Amino acid sequence: MNHELHRKLVDLYGGRELPPDVDAILEAAAATDAELAHDMRTLRETVDTLRADSGAAFTEESYQRILQRIYIRGGNIQPRAATPAALQYQLPMLG
Amino acid sequence: MPNDESRESLAEKKLLRALADGNPEAVGQIYEIYGERIFRFTFRLLGNRSDAEDATAETFLRVLRRSAELRADGAFKTWLFRIARNLCIDKIRQHKLIELPPDTPVNGSEERSALRVTVRQALSQLPQDYQDPLILCDLEDFSAQEAADILDISVPALKSRLYRGRRSLRDKLGSLMERTS
Repeated sequence: MNHELHRKLVDLYGGRELPPDVDAILEAAAATDAELAHDMRTLRETVDTLRADSGAAFTEESYQRILQRIYIRGGNIQPRAATPAALQYQLPMLG
Repeated sequence: MPNDESRESLAEKKLLRALADGNPEAVGQIYEIYGERIFRFTFRLLGNRSDAEDATAETFLRVLRRSAELRADGAFKTWLFRIARNLCIDKIRQHKLIELPPDTPVNGSEERSALRVTVRQALSQLPQDYQDPLILCDLEDFSAQEAADILDISVPALKSRLYRGRRSLRDKLGSLMERTS
């Protein structure tokens, strides 16, 4: 196997983009090649770890703040959900 | 009988026509559909909530302002994400980011939360050319074709950056973990 093809296969293995039979062939080859095994394992772990990050939570507060920013900048937008009373801007008390 | 996907696409086409006619409810519905994904995407690029909220608001304002140009040809989603990405790149270039602490993790064990912070830190240290494909393909589940359309590059170029990016991320993660252990 030439170096370029080898690297390409490991890239695909890392992203779980290979069909299972090719995966198995590569894993068999890695059983007798420590460097290949390390490359495959660490790359797959990296991609799996990355994919496990579900991202920042889109909170109700963020949802409402984004709408407020749109209104303030003159955007005419009508979402279906009404602003909860608890999140509406409070007017200062006078007197 | 139309399947779910074609029903969705028909609904979206109807929505985009309403938007082009200046219907404010249409942009509201588009915000309901895509608001969360755009926010998460901009957060991943910018790294803090305040800037992500700002970029998300600006993305939907651009949609409103350019609604007359919209075509219901199935490319709306990539167009929307391209706007969001360009706004984020502008923000990064202007160096106007407010340094805010990363969001407090809302779930998961401490160990997993620490790993998540390390991954985000490593990702943010990669060149933009590598960050973009990783965020779009590995985190936001876009196909290679969709991600290439958003980034305005060919699919082979996208894949090449994606694979190089994963290797760079691995190296960065390795050194960050060594430093913290």
